[in-house]
Amino acid sequence: MATDKELGDFLENVERRAFKQAVYAVRKDEAALDIVQDAMIKLAEKYGDKPAAELPMLFQRILQTTILDYFRREKVRNTWVSLFSGLGRHGGDDEDFDILDSYEAEEGSAAAESSMDQVERAQTLQLIEAEIQKLPARQREAFLMRYWQDMDVAETAAAMGCSEGSVKTHCSRATHTLADALRAKGIKL
Amino acid sequence: MNTDDINLAYKLRHALNENLDALPASTTERLAAARALALSRKKADAPAQVRKTRRFFDVDFHFSGASLGRLGVAIPLVALVVGLGGLYQYEQQQRIAELAELDAAVLADELPLTAYLDHGFNAYLESQQRQQ
Repeated sequence: MATDKELGDFLENVERRAFKQAVYAVRKDEAALDIVQDAMIKLAEKYGDKPAAELPMLFQRILQTTILDYFRREKVRNTWVSLFSGLGRHGGDDEDFDILDSYEAEEGSAAAESSMDQVERAQTLQLIEAEIQKLPARQREAFLMRYWQDMDVAETAAAMGCSEGSVKTHCSRATHTLADALRAKGIKL
Repeated sequence: MNTDDINLAYKLRHALNENLDALPASTTERLAAARALALSRKKADAPAQVRKTRRFFDVDFHFSGASLGRLGVAIPLVALVVGLGGLYQYEQQQRIAELAELDAAVLADELPLTAYLDHGFNAYLESQQRQQ
């Protein structure tokens, strides 16, 4: 049975990754924050008395369900609200903006080289996130749970409600897709 | 997945973790507030289940619905077992008595030894008894 401290530590450890997971799925920070909050509350209210070892799987399951609920609500809302609302909010400026275009460094200086590395690194990280966002939802879930949330195959399968074989297939496909996409962009990790 | 794939997966994980540190303060504050809210609504621990020791002469237990239900099944079962045991014993006694009767008849030279092999000989003995 998880104590208050164990639950608190678990949520603290997982909250930022959960937020990112939700962002990859719904692509809106505010909505992702609401989803993570809902998932945390559901976990605490309904499964607060479960053993600490079961919390990661339960939380992931709740998180995925809450994300699905969000999409269902959005779908219903979109039937009433104009389909065109919200379009054009993303993209545009971000896609055209390249920080290296406006970046000027003093050539040869160590500081300049370090800054360039930092910018390149930040861009690489952004590209990786973008590629992860592009993955099919099930592949992304499996990949993130296995390799980011440190869940084993059985836990991931339980959280996703599928077989262990499917989890392995999703993970393998996701990794290959990411490897191909990053190679195509000339990114080497 | 081969080793290269797994290596790539862990490098990606490292990259994703790096990005976590760049989350804006407003987001981390909001997450902390959400966590505090969730903890305040934590489900209370379920009361530990106390195992009741039931005394043999506990009247409440013996006359409760559950115990009567269990007795309703147990009593016919016990009666069935006792009845079957009784029938078996009765059959055994009958068989011994018949054999003893046959033995006595053989000893008195009233019967041939092959009478032992005749399973229908009981009917003959009974008819003999009736005539006497």
